[in-house]
Amino acid sequence: MEFIAFVIAIAVAYQALKGYRLSKERTLLYLNLSFVLIGAGLLVDGLSNLIVLLARGQRGSLFVFSLGYTINFLAQLLAYGLLVFAYLYQTRSMGTTIALAAVPVMFVERNAFTELILVFLLVYVATQTAMNYSVNKNVNAFLVFGAFASLAIAHVFFLLYTLIPIFFPLAHIAQLFGFLLLLAMLLRVNQPV
Amino acid sequence: MIPSGQTQPQKTTAKYRSQFRIYVDIMHVIQRENNEAKPTRILYGANLSHDRLIKYLEELKALGVIQETGIDDKIYSLTQKGVEFMNNFRKVESFASAFGFNI
Repeated sequence: MEFIAFVIAIAVAYQALKGYRLSKERTLLYLNLSFVLIGAGLLVDGLSNLIVLLARGQRGSLFVFSLGYTINFLAQLLAYGLLVFAYLYQTRSMGTTIALAAVPVMFVERNAFTELILVFLLVYVATQTAMNYSVNKNVNAFLVFGAFASLAIAHVFFLLYTLIPIFFPLAHIAQLFGFLLLLAMLLRVNQPV
Repeated sequence: MIPSGQTQPQKTTAKYRSQFRIYVDIMHVIQRENNEAKPTRILYGANLSHDRLIKYLEELKALGVIQETGIDDKIYSLTQKGVEFMNNFRKVESFASAFGFNI
């Protein structure tokens, strides 16, 4: 699942880079960097899970697993922080921007509190995309809103999984669904004119 | 490719168009006029003064995205490069707009 999400994240990053090269609009650069970070985090997490699976029971596999998990978590924290920065940059509310941009670097280890910050960042991004949809009323805007809403739900499930294990697969399904919605948006945007 | 510029800082509530946006607006008007637009149509459609319009049309011609035909009555049309640029721009605009970003 992580590898599928990784490919979609890199495809979104590539589209944002193409847009930045054409328009030099900085928000598209932030979007590009954000999805590169998300993709990198997912790749590291996927690879570490694969290594653990292949080297079952070997000494150090738990370390690899937790390292991959932490790198993915930090990458996502930076990525969603950057997305929040991009939305705030667009409205030019720089005071809040600096304060929020500093949030992701304040934490270096995954725990329930930092996971809550990730949820908070994603809820902010989902709210922005929902407001965009309410103004634009187009399918692409709805797909992006759906994607971030699904990712926010996925992280709520990741938070709950520490208490109830059934939430772990549900979180992965919600995460994959979010990335599939982004893929649908990409395919629609790149339809021949 | 068409040089891009950042939108100037806002001093009042009015929004300033970047040079890039003005180029796109001019090319959009030409396309809307079935790829044969007179300067007056572009002037009104892109909301530009005469002097600025002439300057931007010369720049777009130099970039090879529009071409001028006619001697007395000048007509502007998009070149193949210009059509390709507008197709790419539409995709990028649609992508950015899906996230709520304006370009």
